[in-house]
Amino acid sequence: MTKGRPLRKLIGNAATAAFLAAACLFAVVPIVWAVLTSLKSPQEVALYPPTFLPHHLTFENYLGAVIYNATYLHYLFNTALIVVIATILCLFCSAHAAHAVARYKFRGSSILMFAMFSTVMIPGVAVVIPLYLLSVKAGIYDTVLVLILVYSAWLTPTLVWLLRGFVIAIPPELEEAGRIDGYSRLGVFYRVTLPLLRPGLLAGSVLIFANIWNEFLLGYSLVQSETARVIQVGIYANLTEVGVQWGRLTAAAVTAMLPVLIVYAFLQKAFVQGLSAGAVKG
Amino acid sequence: MVVSGTGELGDMMMLDRPRRWRASAFPYMMFAPAFILIAGVSFVPIGYALVQSVFRSSTLELGHYVGLRNYNDFFFTRDGIGSLENSLIFVAGTVALAVPLGVALALVLNRPIPFRSFFRVILILPWLVSNLVGALLWAWIGNPQYGLVPYLLSTFGIVMPNIITDPAAAMTSVIVASVWASTPLVMVFVLAALQSIPSDITEAARIDGASGWRRFWRITLPMVRNTTMMALVLTSLHAFKSVEIILVMTGGGPNGATETMATKVFHEAFTLLRIGVGSAGAVAIFVLNLMFTMAFVRVLRTEHGA
Repeated sequence: MTKGRPLRKLIGNAATAAFLAAACLFAVVPIVWAVLTSLKSPQEVALYPPTFLPHHLTFENYLGAVIYNATYLHYLFNTALIVVIATILCLFCSAHAAHAVARYKFRGSSILMFAMFSTVMIPGVAVVIPLYLLSVKAGIYDTVLVLILVYSAWLTPTLVWLLRGFVIAIPPELEEAGRIDGYSRLGVFYRVTLPLLRPGLLAGSVLIFANIWNEFLLGYSLVQSETARVIQVGIYANLTEVGVQWGRLTAAAVTAMLPVLIVYAFLQKAFVQGLSAGAVKG
Repeated sequence: MVVSGTGELGDMMMLDRPRRWRASAFPYMMFAPAFILIAGVSFVPIGYALVQSVFRSSTLELGHYVGLRNYNDFFFTRDGIGSLENSLIFVAGTVALAVPLGVALALVLNRPIPFRSFFRVILILPWLVSNLVGALLWAWIGNPQYGLVPYLLSTFGIVMPNIITDPAAAMTSVIVASVWASTPLVMVFVLAALQSIPSDITEAARIDGASGWRRFWRITLPMVRNTTMMALVLTSLHAFKSVEIILVMTGGGPNGATETMATKVFHEAFTLLRIGVGSAGAVAIFVLNLMFTMAFVRVLRTEHGA
């Protein structure tokens, strides 16, 4: 590289730049195109050749499909409710389990761990039928409860793995000191370990949030009525109805993308640091 | 899965109290909530799917025992072999494009290029979009009537085949959407691996007079090979079980041209209400997934042993 071959280097740089530009276009054009479509009037959406920038910028799609659309807001509310409760449930289960596997040697621990992690390999489409049948029999079909249980169970193995790394990183001396101070084993976990797990819990929450918010298959199969419907299913229902209104549909889709983008934008640093901290100890 | 960091603390906890049973029960109690949750939502349903797959049922109750007939029906009626072929095409197409693209992007982003963090954010975006919405975006951009892509191609005098009615175009379009959704994961994984390569290794090679290409082939690539393999496996598994993209963009059509095993399970169970046949397909998907993963683990092990 120190030898002067400026022309070759220039061509190399140009090729790299062109490749990067093409990849960026591939990544963002579908998103940008949806945003532009959502800001056009129905008449303009139906024009051929299509217009690029909206001639008349309008928010009527967002008003009609989101703001004044009670069912859409209800789906958003359902999804947010499920995310919050499932996150708490999942973090509760996985933090306890992570502490157990990180700190104790107990009979069958490696079998339990293996059994738990093997469930990560189970594809959703393989259990969607039995989950449907079982939830009907258990009387929780078509409720938010069934989705809360399923989503938190699905994410628990990953979270145990993540939090286990964080528990290992905590010096055992701190917990021993807590024991000497007279706390019970569980007391030490709540008063010493759990507060120190906060970065891991935060990174885990981002992971849980993005996964649940974007889930479709089980939300579709385990819930039938609009009362318990989640946002991705709500969008799909719009897509399958006769005469798709693309302006309103893209407005609904863009709105559904936003929460994950916003959360990621704000918590990106914590997320990436948390993940690498958890994984490095793996 | 080595349980580490247990030694002193575990010993101390055993010593300080006469009630030894508590010491041994405690970790199980800590593990119990997670285990119960996972057992109910993952173990029981997989077992139930196995049972359902050998019974002929169309309602909630088990029908009569039919042995392996559901498996036979899944693969040899309504073009089951075709769905297996389509799954393989879809997975192979996704992996063949997304993995090299993701690796190439990671290599570029690992170099000190201007606006690096901006490019990284842009390129990660598809990862944050749900598969369902991603498929919807591609369905709209490739819409034969109003879509951007058919229009842009037509300005160059190219008539794009209809992605809903033309079999090859339909398969191509769902693979493109799948590549779009899968590439960021590969990129993020490989980039993380690249950044963990100690710079003194490449520096030493440079001082020894190794050329850029040589350093790339002999040092960089071998160091990220395992990560790339892992990303490849994750991408394949994800594509193999993917339902949303095909459901939204083509619905498995035209005439079954994009019906994969995963969408067939979905259609058998929820459109045709053939629960036994759907369960057989579900078990087949699970077993194929497991075999693929175990083969991969074995390949990694032997490579490490050698």
